[in-house]
Amino acid sequence: MSNTEMLSEPVARLQGVTKKIGSKTLVSNLTLDIPPGQIFGFLGPNGAGKTTTIRMMVGLISISSGDVLISGHSIKNNYKEAIASVGAIVENPEMYKFLSGYQNLRQFARMVPGVSKQRIDEVVELVGLGQRIHDKVKTYSLGMRQRLGVAQALLNRPKLLVLDEPTNGLDPQGIRELRDYLRLLCREEGTTVFVSSHLLSEMELMCDSVAIIQNGQLLEVKQLKEVGNVTMPIGETLFEVDDAEAALALIGQGTLKSGGLVVEAAREEIAEFNARLVAGGIKVYSIKSLARTLEDQFLEVTGGEGIE
Amino acid sequence: MSNFTALIHNENIKIYSRARTWIMLIILAVFSAFLPALMYFTMDNPASRLGVWDSFQMIVSVVFFLNTIFVVVIAADSVAGEFTWGTIKMLLIRPWSRSQILLSKYISIVLFSLLCTAVLIVFGLASSFIFASPTGDTLSSITAWSPAEYSFIDLLCRYVTLFLTVTLAFMISSVFRASGLAIGLSMFIMFAQGIFAALLNPDVFEWARYLIFTHMDLRVYMGSDIGPGGATLGFSIAVLAVYYVIFLAVSWFVFRKRDVAG
Repeated sequence: MSNTEMLSEPVARLQGVTKKIGSKTLVSNLTLDIPPGQIFGFLGPNGAGKTTTIRMMVGLISISSGDVLISGHSIKNNYKEAIASVGAIVENPEMYKFLSGYQNLRQFARMVPGVSKQRIDEVVELVGLGQRIHDKVKTYSLGMRQRLGVAQALLNRPKLLVLDEPTNGLDPQGIRELRDYLRLLCREEGTTVFVSSHLLSEMELMCDSVAIIQNGQLLEVKQLKEVGNVTMPIGETLFEVDDAEAALALIGQGTLKSGGLVVEAAREEIAEFNARLVAGGIKVYSIKSLARTLEDQFLEVTGGEGIE
Repeated sequence: MSNFTALIHNENIKIYSRARTWIMLIILAVFSAFLPALMYFTMDNPASRLGVWDSFQMIVSVVFFLNTIFVVVIAADSVAGEFTWGTIKMLLIRPWSRSQILLSKYISIVLFSLLCTAVLIVFGLASSFIFASPTGDTLSSITAWSPAEYSFIDLLCRYVTLFLTVTLAFMISSVFRASGLAIGLSMFIMFAQGIFAALLNPDVFEWARYLIFTHMDLRVYMGSDIGPGGATLGFSIAVLAVYYVIFLAVSWFVFRKRDVAG
Protein backbone atom coordinates (compact mmCIF):
# COMPACT_ATOMS: atom_id res chain seq x y z
CA MET A 1 0.00 0.00 0.00
CA SER A 2 1.40 3.39 -0.90
CA ASN A 3 1.83 6.13 1.64
CA THR A 4 -0.92 8.38 0.40
CA GLU A 5 -3.41 5.60 0.66
CA MET A 6 -2.32 4.76 4.13
CA LEU A 7 -2.77 8.33 5.18
CA SER A 8 -6.12 8.89 3.55
CA GLU A 9 -9.22 8.56 5.65
CA PRO A 10 -11.39 5.49 5.25
CA VAL A 11 -14.53 6.25 3.26
CA ALA A 12 -16.63 4.26 5.66
CA ARG A 13 -15.94 3.08 9.17
CA LEU A 14 -18.01 0.46 10.89
CA GLN A 15 -17.46 0.84 14.60
CA GLY A 16 -18.58 -2.05 16.75
CA VAL A 17 -21.75 -2.40 14.72
CA THR A 18 -24.21 -4.76 16.35
CA LYS A 19 -27.72 -5.78 15.40
CA LYS A 20 -29.88 -7.60 17.87
CA ILE A 21 -33.45 -8.66 17.31
CA GLY A 22 -34.87 -10.03 20.51
CA SER A 23 -32.29 -12.39 21.96
CA LYS A 24 -30.79 -13.11 18.55
CA THR A 25 -27.61 -11.33 17.53
CA LEU A 26 -27.49 -11.01 13.76
CA VAL A 27 -24.35 -8.92 13.56
CA SER A 28 -21.96 -8.79 16.44
CA ASN A 29 -19.51 -5.99 17.17
CA LEU A 30 -18.35 -5.55 13.59
CA THR A 31 -15.47 -3.13 13.19
CA LEU A 32 -14.20 -2.45 9.71
CA ASP A 33 -12.58 0.39 7.81
CA ILE A 34 -13.20 0.66 4.12
CA PRO A 35 -10.25 2.38 2.47
CA PRO A 36 -10.91 4.78 -0.42
CA GLY A 37 -10.51 3.96 -4.08
CA GLN A 38 -10.90 0.23 -3.71
CA ILE A 39 -13.35 -2.44 -4.62
CA PHE A 40 -13.90 -3.92 -1.22
CA GLY A 41 -15.57 -7.29 -0.99
CA PHE A 42 -17.81 -8.41 1.82
CA LEU A 43 -17.79 -12.14 1.78
CA GLY A 44 -19.69 -14.69 3.75
CA PRO A 45 -22.01 -17.64 3.48
CA ASN A 46 -25.74 -17.10 3.24
CA GLY A 47 -27.16 -15.89 6.51
CA ALA A 48 -23.84 -14.58 7.79
CA GLY A 49 -25.22 -11.07 8.27
CA LYS A 50 -24.03 -9.37 5.07
CA THR A 51 -27.35 -7.87 4.08
CA THR A 52 -28.13 -6.92 7.68
CA THR A 53 -24.84 -5.05 7.86
CA ILE A 54 -25.50 -3.30 4.57
CA ARG A 55 -29.00 -2.32 5.67
CA MET A 56 -27.51 -0.76 8.78
CA MET A 57 -24.90 1.06 6.70
CA VAL A 58 -27.59 2.79 4.64
CA GLY A 59 -29.98 3.38 7.52
CA LEU A 60 -32.73 0.99 6.45
CA ILE A 61 -32.59 -0.75 9.79
CA SER A 62 -31.56 0.63 13.14
CA ILE A 63 -28.18 -0.12 14.68
CA SER A 64 -28.50 -1.79 18.09
CA SER A 65 -25.11 -0.56 19.21
CA GLY A 66 -22.05 0.90 17.53
CA ASP A 67 -22.13 3.30 14.61
CA VAL A 68 -21.32 3.64 10.94
CA LEU A 69 -19.41 6.69 9.77
CA ILE A 70 -19.53 7.59 6.12
CA SER A 71 -17.14 10.36 5.08
CA GLY A 72 -16.95 11.14 8.77
CA HIS A 73 -20.70 11.55 9.25
CA SER A 74 -22.62 9.26 11.56
CA ILE A 75 -25.45 7.36 9.90
CA LYS A 76 -27.17 7.31 13.26
CA ASN A 77 -27.02 10.96 14.21
CA ASN A 78 -26.31 12.73 10.96
CA TYR A 79 -28.19 10.64 8.45
CA LYS A 80 -28.72 13.15 5.68
CA GLU A 81 -25.05 14.19 5.46
CA ALA A 82 -23.87 10.60 5.73
CA ILE A 83 -26.21 9.16 3.11
CA ALA A 84 -25.54 12.04 0.70
CA SER A 85 -22.24 10.47 -0.33
CA VAL A 86 -23.63 6.96 -0.70
CA GLY A 87 -25.16 5.22 -3.68
CA ALA A 88 -26.64 1.81 -3.06
CA ILE A 89 -28.54 -1.17 -4.29
CA VAL A 90 -29.84 -3.26 -1.43
CA GLU A 91 -30.72 -6.76 -2.62
CA ASN A 92 -32.57 -6.49 -5.90
CA PRO A 93 -32.71 -3.22 -7.81
CA GLU A 94 -36.43 -2.61 -7.38
CA MET A 95 -37.87 0.14 -9.53
CA TYR A 96 -41.28 1.58 -10.30
CA LYS A 97 -42.35 -0.82 -13.03
CA PHE A 98 -45.07 1.44 -14.37
CA LEU A 99 -42.52 4.18 -15.08
CA SER A 100 -39.81 4.16 -17.72
CA GLY A 101 -36.18 3.71 -16.72
CA TYR A 102 -35.63 7.37 -17.40
CA GLN A 103 -38.61 8.44 -15.28
CA ASN A 104 -37.26 6.27 -12.48
CA LEU A 105 -33.93 8.05 -12.67
CA ARG A 106 -35.73 11.40 -12.67
CA GLN A 107 -37.52 10.33 -9.48
CA PHE A 108 -34.27 9.69 -7.66
CA ALA A 109 -32.52 12.66 -9.26
CA ARG A 110 -35.13 14.99 -7.78
CA MET A 111 -34.30 13.69 -4.34
CA VAL A 112 -30.66 14.77 -4.36
CA PRO A 113 -29.36 18.26 -4.95
CA GLY A 114 -27.37 19.07 -8.06
CA VAL A 115 -28.24 16.20 -10.36
CA SER A 116 -28.64 17.71 -13.80
CA LYS A 117 -30.27 16.18 -16.87
CA GLN A 118 -26.78 15.90 -18.24
CA ARG A 119 -25.75 13.73 -15.30
CA ILE A 120 -28.71 11.43 -15.93
CA ASP A 121 -27.65 11.04 -19.57
CA GLU A 122 -24.10 10.43 -18.39
CA VAL A 123 -25.02 7.51 -16.10
CA VAL A 124 -27.35 6.06 -18.73
CA GLU A 125 -24.40 6.15 -21.10
CA LEU A 126 -22.09 4.58 -18.53
CA VAL A 127 -24.31 1.58 -17.83
CA GLY A 128 -25.11 1.24 -21.51
CA LEU A 129 -28.89 1.22 -21.40
CA GLY A 130 -29.15 3.36 -24.54
CA GLN A 131 -32.58 3.98 -25.99
CA ARG A 132 -34.22 1.29 -23.86
CA ILE A 133 -34.06 3.78 -20.99
CA HIS A 134 -37.32 5.24 -22.29
CA ASP A 135 -39.15 1.91 -22.11
CA LYS A 136 -41.23 0.95 -19.11
CA VAL A 137 -39.23 -0.93 -16.49
CA LYS A 138 -41.68 -3.85 -16.58
CA THR A 139 -40.28 -4.71 -20.03
CA TYR A 140 -36.70 -4.92 -18.71
CA SER A 141 -34.71 -8.09 -18.22
CA LEU A 142 -33.01 -8.68 -14.89
CA GLY A 143 -29.68 -7.60 -16.37
CA MET A 144 -31.19 -4.32 -17.54
CA ARG A 145 -32.76 -3.71 -14.14
CA GLN A 146 -29.39 -4.30 -12.57
CA ARG A 147 -27.89 -1.68 -14.88
CA LEU A 148 -30.69 0.74 -14.04
CA GLY A 149 -30.01 0.02 -10.38
CA VAL A 150 -26.37 0.90 -10.81
CA ALA A 151 -27.37 4.01 -12.75
CA GLN A 152 -29.61 5.30 -9.95
CA ALA A 153 -26.89 4.58 -7.40
CA LEU A 154 -24.41 6.70 -9.36
CA LEU A 155 -26.61 9.76 -9.88
CA ASN A 156 -25.26 11.64 -6.90
CA ARG A 157 -21.59 10.83 -7.71
CA PRO A 158 -21.25 8.79 -4.53
CA LYS A 159 -17.96 8.42 -2.75
CA LEU A 160 -19.15 5.03 -1.62
CA LEU A 161 -21.12 2.67 -3.79
CA VAL A 162 -22.74 -0.14 -1.81
CA LEU A 163 -23.89 -3.16 -3.76
CA ASP A 164 -25.58 -6.10 -2.10
CA GLU A 165 -25.12 -9.36 -4.01
CA PRO A 166 -25.09 -7.54 -7.33
CA THR A 167 -24.28 -10.62 -9.37
CA ASN A 168 -27.32 -12.55 -8.16
CA GLY A 169 -29.35 -13.71 -11.11
CA LEU A 170 -27.00 -12.26 -13.70
CA ASP A 171 -25.69 -14.41 -16.52
CA PRO A 172 -21.90 -14.71 -16.97
CA GLN A 173 -21.98 -11.97 -19.59
CA GLY A 174 -23.83 -9.67 -17.19
CA ILE A 175 -21.43 -10.46 -14.37
CA ARG A 176 -18.50 -9.70 -16.61
CA GLU A 177 -20.00 -6.36 -17.64
CA LEU A 178 -20.79 -5.41 -14.07
CA ARG A 179 -17.22 -6.19 -13.07
CA ASP A 180 -15.91 -4.10 -15.93
CA TYR A 181 -17.83 -1.00 -15.07
CA LEU A 182 -17.18 -1.28 -11.38
CA ARG A 183 -13.49 -1.31 -12.26
CA LEU A 184 -14.05 1.65 -14.55
CA LEU A 185 -15.85 3.59 -11.83
CA CYS A 186 -13.17 2.86 -9.32
CA ARG A 187 -10.47 3.98 -11.73
CA GLU A 188 -12.14 6.92 -13.47
CA GLU A 189 -14.28 8.45 -10.73
CA GLY A 190 -12.35 7.21 -7.71
CA THR A 191 -15.50 5.65 -6.32
CA THR A 192 -15.03 3.22 -3.48
CA VAL A 193 -17.14 0.13 -4.05
CA PHE A 194 -18.37 -2.04 -1.20
CA VAL A 195 -19.77 -5.21 -2.64
CA SER A 196 -21.19 -8.21 -0.83
CA SER A 197 -21.32 -11.72 -2.21
CA HIS A 198 -21.26 -15.34 -1.26
CA LEU A 199 -19.52 -16.18 -4.53
CA LEU A 200 -15.84 -16.60 -3.79
CA SER A 201 -14.59 -16.82 -7.33
CA GLU A 202 -16.49 -13.68 -8.21
CA MET A 203 -14.96 -11.74 -5.33
CA GLU A 204 -11.52 -12.94 -6.26
CA LEU A 205 -11.89 -11.47 -9.75
CA MET A 206 -13.53 -8.26 -8.68
CA CYS A 207 -12.08 -7.08 -5.43
CA ASP A 208 -8.92 -5.48 -4.11
CA SER A 209 -9.63 -6.58 -0.56
CA VAL A 210 -12.22 -8.73 1.12
CA ALA A 211 -13.64 -8.90 4.60
CA ILE A 212 -14.92 -12.30 5.56
CA ILE A 213 -17.92 -12.55 7.84
CA GLN A 214 -19.58 -15.54 9.41
CA ASN A 215 -22.37 -15.84 11.94
CA GLY A 216 -22.43 -12.10 12.26
CA GLN A 217 -18.77 -11.82 13.13
CA LEU A 218 -15.87 -10.46 11.16
CA LEU A 219 -13.31 -13.19 10.71
CA GLU A 220 -10.61 -11.66 8.58
CA VAL A 221 -9.74 -8.83 6.21
CA LYS A 222 -7.56 -9.84 3.28
CA GLN A 223 -5.72 -7.97 0.60
CA LEU A 224 -6.24 -9.72 -2.71
CA LYS A 225 -4.34 -7.53 -5.09
CA GLU A 226 -1.40 -5.60 -3.81
CA VAL A 227 -1.85 -2.01 -4.72
CA GLY A 228 1.18 -0.05 -5.88
CA ASN A 229 4.63 -1.50 -6.40
CA VAL A 230 5.59 -4.14 -3.93
CA THR A 231 7.76 -7.16 -4.48
CA MET A 232 6.18 -10.39 -5.53
CA PRO A 233 4.76 -12.09 -2.51
CA ILE A 234 6.65 -15.02 -1.10
CA GLY A 235 4.61 -18.16 -1.22
CA GLU A 236 5.01 -21.74 -0.19
CA THR A 237 6.26 -24.13 -2.84
CA LEU A 238 6.28 -27.90 -2.72
CA PHE A 239 9.16 -29.79 -4.29
CA GLU A 240 8.19 -33.38 -4.91
CA VAL A 241 11.45 -35.30 -4.68
CA ASP A 242 12.66 -38.88 -4.25
CA ASP A 243 14.56 -38.14 -1.04
CA ALA A 244 13.01 -35.29 0.91
CA GLU A 245 15.45 -35.42 3.82
CA ALA A 246 18.44 -35.19 1.56
CA ALA A 247 16.79 -32.29 -0.18
CA LEU A 248 16.23 -30.54 3.16
CA ALA A 249 19.87 -31.04 4.07
CA LEU A 250 20.93 -29.63 0.74
CA ILE A 251 18.69 -26.55 0.72
CA GLY A 252 19.02 -25.92 4.44
CA GLN A 253 15.48 -24.58 4.95
CA GLY A 254 11.88 -25.60 4.63
CA THR A 255 9.78 -28.35 6.14
CA LEU A 256 9.02 -31.91 5.22
CA LYS A 257 5.47 -32.36 4.17
CA SER A 258 3.37 -34.63 1.99
CA GLY A 259 6.21 -36.59 0.53
CA GLY A 260 8.28 -33.59 -0.37
CA LEU A 261 9.94 -30.45 0.79
CA VAL A 262 7.95 -27.29 1.35
CA VAL A 263 9.94 -24.08 1.20
CA GLU A 264 9.02 -20.45 1.45
CA ALA A 265 10.66 -18.85 -1.53
CA ALA A 266 10.36 -16.06 -4.03
CA ARG A 267 10.08 -16.87 -7.71
CA GLU A 268 13.79 -16.57 -8.51
CA GLU A 269 14.82 -18.72 -5.57
CA ILE A 270 12.63 -21.59 -6.72
CA ALA A 271 14.62 -21.93 -9.93
CA GLU A 272 17.81 -21.70 -7.97
CA PHE A 273 16.73 -24.38 -5.46
CA ASN A 274 15.73 -26.62 -8.32
CA ALA A 275 19.16 -26.27 -9.92
CA ARG A 276 20.84 -27.10 -6.62
CA LEU A 277 18.66 -30.18 -6.06
CA VAL A 278 19.31 -31.50 -9.54
CA ALA A 279 23.03 -30.80 -9.21
CA GLY A 280 22.96 -32.64 -5.85
CA GLY A 281 21.61 -35.75 -7.55
CA ILE A 282 18.09 -35.52 -6.15
CA LYS A 283 15.28 -36.34 -8.52
CA VAL A 284 12.70 -33.57 -8.76
CA TYR A 285 9.34 -34.90 -9.98
CA SER A 286 7.32 -31.74 -9.69
CA ILE A 287 7.37 -28.21 -8.33
CA LYS A 288 4.02 -26.94 -7.14
CA SER A 289 2.97 -23.59 -5.75
CA LEU A 290 0.93 -23.92 -2.58
CA ALA A 291 -0.53 -20.43 -2.86
CA ARG A 292 -4.02 -20.81 -1.53
CA THR A 293 -6.97 -19.67 -3.50
CA LEU A 294 -9.46 -17.41 -1.81
CA GLU A 295 -11.77 -20.37 -1.64
CA ASP A 296 -9.24 -22.36 0.40
CA GLN A 297 -8.73 -19.42 2.68
CA PHE A 298 -12.44 -18.84 2.98
CA LEU A 299 -13.14 -22.43 3.89
CA GLU A 300 -10.19 -22.36 6.23
CA VAL A 301 -11.34 -19.31 8.18
CA THR A 302 -14.98 -20.20 8.20
CA GLY A 303 -14.07 -23.77 9.08
CA GLY A 304 -16.20 -24.93 6.18
CA GLU A 305 -19.25 -24.59 8.38
CA GLY A 306 -22.67 -23.69 7.25
CA ILE A 307 -25.21 -21.58 9.01
CA GLU A 308 -25.40 -22.33 12.66
CA MET B 1 -34.62 21.50 -7.41
CA SER B 2 -34.08 19.48 -4.33
CA ASN B 3 -36.64 21.00 -2.06
CA PHE B 4 -39.63 19.48 -0.41
CA THR B 5 -41.97 20.20 -3.33
CA ALA B 6 -39.80 17.83 -5.38
CA LEU B 7 -40.83 15.01 -3.05
CA ILE B 8 -44.51 15.84 -3.48
CA HIS B 9 -43.94 16.05 -7.22
CA ASN B 10 -42.46 12.54 -7.13
CA GLU B 11 -45.44 11.21 -5.24
CA ASN B 12 -47.83 12.87 -7.67
CA ILE B 13 -46.02 11.23 -10.58
CA LYS B 14 -46.44 7.86 -8.91
CA ILE B 15 -50.17 8.49 -8.53
CA TYR B 16 -50.95 10.00 -11.92
CA SER B 17 -48.78 7.86 -14.15
CA ARG B 18 -50.87 4.82 -13.38
CA ALA B 19 -53.83 4.01 -15.57
CA ARG B 20 -56.08 3.11 -12.65
CA THR B 21 -55.95 6.68 -11.30
CA TRP B 22 -57.34 8.02 -14.55
CA ILE B 23 -59.95 5.31 -14.74
CA MET B 24 -61.13 6.29 -11.26
CA LEU B 25 -61.28 9.97 -12.18
CA ILE B 26 -63.19 9.18 -15.38
CA ILE B 27 -65.67 7.00 -13.48
CA LEU B 28 -66.23 9.82 -10.98
CA ALA B 29 -66.79 12.34 -13.76
CA VAL B 30 -69.10 10.05 -15.70
CA PHE B 31 -71.23 9.12 -12.69
CA SER B 32 -71.51 12.73 -11.57
CA ALA B 33 -72.61 13.85 -15.01
CA PHE B 34 -74.74 10.82 -15.77
CA LEU B 35 -77.25 10.89 -12.89
CA PRO B 36 -79.00 14.20 -13.73
CA ALA B 37 -79.11 13.20 -17.38
CA LEU B 38 -80.69 9.89 -16.45
CA MET B 39 -83.37 11.61 -14.45
CA TYR B 40 -83.98 14.09 -17.24
CA PHE B 41 -84.60 11.38 -19.77
CA THR B 42 -86.65 9.14 -17.53
CA MET B 43 -89.04 11.77 -16.16
CA ASP B 44 -91.68 12.79 -18.65
CA ASN B 45 -93.39 15.42 -16.60
CA PRO B 46 -91.22 18.60 -16.54
CA ALA B 47 -92.99 19.80 -13.41
CA SER B 48 -91.68 16.90 -11.33
CA ARG B 49 -88.06 17.51 -12.26
CA LEU B 50 -85.62 18.20 -9.44
CA GLY B 51 -84.17 21.63 -8.88
CA VAL B 52 -80.49 22.25 -9.69
CA TRP B 53 -79.31 21.99 -6.09
CA ASP B 54 -81.60 19.11 -5.24
CA SER B 55 -80.13 17.29 -8.20
CA PHE B 56 -76.61 18.13 -7.06
CA GLN B 57 -77.44 16.94 -3.55
CA MET B 58 -78.61 13.65 -4.92
CA ILE B 59 -75.41 13.24 -6.94
CA VAL B 60 -73.26 13.99 -3.92
CA SER B 61 -75.12 11.54 -1.72
CA VAL B 62 -74.55 8.75 -4.22
CA VAL B 63 -71.19 9.50 -5.79
CA PHE B 64 -69.42 10.57 -2.61
CA PHE B 65 -69.18 6.92 -1.59
CA LEU B 66 -67.29 6.26 -4.78
CA ASN B 67 -65.15 9.30 -4.10
CA THR B 68 -64.20 7.97 -0.66
CA ILE B 69 -63.47 4.49 -2.00
CA PHE B 70 -61.18 5.79 -4.72
CA VAL B 71 -59.20 8.05 -2.44
CA VAL B 72 -58.90 5.23 0.12
CA VAL B 73 -57.52 2.94 -2.60
CA ILE B 74 -54.79 5.46 -3.43
CA ALA B 75 -54.06 6.17 0.25
CA ALA B 76 -53.89 2.47 1.08
CA ASP B 77 -51.34 1.88 -1.65
CA SER B 78 -49.18 4.87 -0.90
CA VAL B 79 -46.90 3.31 1.72
CA ALA B 80 -47.88 -0.36 1.33
CA GLY B 81 -47.18 -0.23 -2.40
CA GLU B 82 -43.59 0.85 -1.85
CA PHE B 83 -43.08 -2.14 0.43
CA THR B 84 -44.79 -4.53 -1.99
CA TRP B 85 -42.71 -3.29 -4.90
CA GLY B 86 -39.52 -3.21 -2.81
CA THR B 87 -38.96 0.38 -3.91
CA ILE B 88 -39.09 1.52 -0.29
CA LYS B 89 -35.39 0.68 -0.09
CA MET B 90 -34.66 2.99 -3.00
CA LEU B 91 -36.86 5.71 -1.56
CA LEU B 92 -35.43 5.78 1.95
CA ILE B 93 -31.72 5.83 1.13
CA ARG B 94 -31.81 9.47 0.04
CA PRO B 95 -30.87 12.57 1.99
CA TRP B 96 -34.39 13.01 3.35
CA SER B 97 -35.78 12.02 6.70
CA ARG B 98 -38.49 9.40 6.88
CA SER B 99 -40.86 12.00 8.27
CA GLN B 100 -40.40 14.14 5.20
CA ILE B 101 -41.00 11.20 2.89
CA LEU B 102 -44.15 10.21 4.74
CA LEU B 103 -45.38 13.79 4.78
CA SER B 104 -44.90 14.09 1.02
CA LYS B 105 -46.98 10.95 0.61
CA TYR B 106 -49.72 12.24 2.87
CA ILE B 107 -49.86 15.59 1.11
CA SER B 108 -50.10 13.93 -2.29
CA ILE B 109 -53.09 11.94 -1.02
CA VAL B 110 -54.81 15.01 0.36
CA LEU B 111 -54.25 16.69 -3.01
CA PHE B 112 -55.74 13.68 -4.75
CA SER B 113 -58.79 13.75 -2.47
CA LEU B 114 -59.30 17.43 -3.32
CA LEU B 115 -58.97 16.70 -7.03
CA CYS B 116 -61.52 13.87 -6.86
CA THR B 117 -63.96 16.04 -4.92
CA ALA B 118 -63.44 18.87 -7.41
CA VAL B 119 -64.18 16.52 -10.31
CA LEU B 120 -67.36 15.43 -8.56
CA ILE B 121 -68.43 19.04 -7.96
CA VAL B 122 -67.61 20.32 -11.44
CA PHE B 123 -69.25 17.49 -13.37
CA GLY B 124 -72.18 17.15 -10.99
CA LEU B 125 -72.98 20.85 -10.99
CA ALA B 126 -72.49 21.29 -14.73
CA SER B 127 -74.78 18.36 -15.44
CA SER B 128 -77.33 19.59 -12.92
CA PHE B 129 -77.39 23.02 -14.51
CA ILE B 130 -77.95 21.43 -17.90
CA PHE B 131 -80.51 18.78 -17.01
CA ALA B 132 -82.28 19.88 -13.82
CA SER B 133 -84.95 22.49 -13.44
CA PRO B 134 -83.68 25.97 -12.45
CA THR B 135 -86.72 26.35 -10.24
CA GLY B 136 -88.12 23.75 -7.92
CA ASP B 137 -85.44 23.50 -5.29
CA THR B 138 -87.00 22.30 -2.08
CA LEU B 139 -83.90 22.48 0.10
CA SER B 140 -84.26 26.15 0.93
CA SER B 141 -87.51 25.52 2.74
CA ILE B 142 -85.76 23.38 5.41
CA THR B 143 -83.08 25.76 6.59
CA ALA B 144 -82.18 29.36 6.54
CA TRP B 145 -79.36 28.65 4.13
CA SER B 146 -79.63 29.08 0.40
CA PRO B 147 -79.63 25.78 -1.55
CA ALA B 148 -76.06 26.45 -2.70
CA GLU B 149 -74.86 27.10 0.85
CA TYR B 150 -76.66 24.06 2.12
CA SER B 151 -75.14 21.87 -0.59
CA PHE B 152 -71.62 23.02 0.06
CA ILE B 153 -71.88 22.74 3.84
CA ASP B 154 -73.21 19.22 3.35
CA LEU B 155 -70.28 18.52 1.03
CA LEU B 156 -67.83 19.87 3.57
CA CYS B 157 -69.22 17.56 6.27
CA ARG B 158 -68.91 14.60 3.95
CA TYR B 159 -65.38 15.65 3.11
CA VAL B 160 -64.50 15.64 6.82
CA THR B 161 -65.69 12.03 6.99
CA LEU B 162 -63.68 11.19 3.88
CA PHE B 163 -60.62 12.93 5.27
CA LEU B 164 -60.72 10.86 8.46
CA THR B 165 -61.41 7.60 6.62
CA VAL B 166 -58.51 8.25 4.25
CA THR B 167 -56.18 9.15 7.11
CA LEU B 168 -57.17 5.91 8.79
CA ALA B 169 -56.38 4.00 5.58
CA PHE B 170 -53.03 5.78 5.41
CA MET B 171 -52.26 4.78 8.98
CA ILE B 172 -53.13 1.12 8.38
CA SER B 173 -51.07 1.18 5.20
CA SER B 174 -48.10 2.60 7.10
CA VAL B 175 -48.43 0.25 10.06
CA PHE B 176 -49.28 -3.05 8.36
CA ARG B 177 -47.76 -2.42 4.92
CA ALA B 178 -50.77 -4.17 3.45
CA SER B 179 -52.98 -2.18 1.12
CA GLY B 180 -55.72 -4.81 1.11
CA LEU B 181 -56.15 -4.57 4.84
CA ALA B 182 -56.12 -0.78 4.69
CA ILE B 183 -58.79 -0.71 2.00
CA GLY B 184 -60.92 -3.35 3.65
CA LEU B 185 -60.84 -1.88 7.12
CA SER B 186 -61.49 1.67 5.94
CA MET B 187 -64.40 0.54 3.78
CA PHE B 188 -65.81 -1.41 6.66
CA ILE B 189 -65.67 1.64 8.89
CA MET B 190 -67.18 3.81 6.20
CA PHE B 191 -70.21 1.55 5.84
CA ALA B 192 -70.53 0.35 9.43
CA GLN B 193 -70.02 3.76 10.98
CA GLY B 194 -73.77 4.43 11.03
CA ILE B 195 -74.50 1.04 12.60
CA PHE B 196 -71.86 1.53 15.29
CA ALA B 197 -73.17 4.99 15.99
CA ALA B 198 -76.67 3.54 16.47
CA LEU B 199 -75.59 0.50 18.51
CA LEU B 200 -73.20 2.33 20.77
CA ASN B 201 -75.62 5.01 21.68
CA PRO B 202 -73.96 7.71 23.77
CA ASP B 203 -77.23 8.15 25.66
CA VAL B 204 -76.83 4.57 26.90
CA PHE B 205 -73.09 4.22 27.15
CA GLU B 206 -71.27 7.18 28.59
CA TRP B 207 -67.94 6.18 27.01
CA ALA B 208 -69.50 6.05 23.55
CA ARG B 209 -69.39 9.85 23.61
CA TYR B 210 -65.70 9.54 22.85
CA LEU B 211 -65.98 7.08 19.97
CA ILE B 212 -65.08 8.27 16.51
CA PHE B 213 -68.22 6.67 15.03
CA THR B 214 -70.47 8.88 17.11
CA HIS B 215 -69.02 12.02 15.58
CA MET B 216 -67.97 11.08 12.08
CA ASP B 217 -71.09 12.43 10.45
CA LEU B 218 -71.14 16.14 11.20
CA ARG B 219 -74.21 16.66 9.05
CA VAL B 220 -76.41 16.12 12.12
CA TYR B 221 -75.46 19.65 13.17
CA MET B 222 -76.98 21.05 10.00
CA GLY B 223 -80.42 20.42 11.42
CA SER B 224 -79.84 20.99 15.13
CA ASP B 225 -77.36 22.40 17.59
CA ILE B 226 -77.35 19.26 19.67
CA GLY B 227 -75.51 16.26 18.34
CA PRO B 228 -75.36 12.62 19.45
CA GLY B 229 -75.44 12.22 23.22
CA GLY B 230 -75.99 15.90 23.71
CA ALA B 231 -72.66 16.83 22.18
CA THR B 232 -71.98 20.17 20.64
CA LEU B 233 -70.35 20.78 17.28
CA GLY B 234 -67.24 21.96 19.09
CA PHE B 235 -67.07 18.77 21.11
CA SER B 236 -67.52 16.60 18.02
CA ILE B 237 -64.80 18.46 16.19
CA ALA B 238 -62.51 18.12 19.20
CA VAL B 239 -63.08 14.35 19.35
CA LEU B 240 -62.44 14.00 15.63
CA ALA B 241 -59.31 16.13 15.92
CA VAL B 242 -57.96 13.88 18.67
CA TYR B 243 -58.53 10.79 16.53
CA TYR B 244 -56.94 12.51 13.56
CA VAL B 245 -53.85 13.37 15.56
CA ILE B 246 -53.65 9.80 16.87
CA PHE B 247 -53.90 8.35 13.35
CA LEU B 248 -51.10 10.58 12.13
CA ALA B 249 -48.95 10.06 15.23
CA VAL B 250 -49.19 6.28 14.90
CA SER B 251 -48.38 6.45 11.16
CA TRP B 252 -45.35 8.61 11.84
CA PHE B 253 -44.10 6.68 14.80
CA VAL B 254 -44.25 3.31 13.05
CA PHE B 255 -42.84 4.56 9.75
CA ARG B 256 -39.91 6.30 11.40
CA LYS B 257 -38.98 3.36 13.62
CA ARG B 258 -39.55 0.57 11.16
CA ASP B 259 -36.70 -1.74 10.22
CA VAL B 260 -36.91 -2.11 6.46
CA ALA B 261 -35.88 -5.71 5.99
CA GLY B 262 -36.93 -8.49 3.71
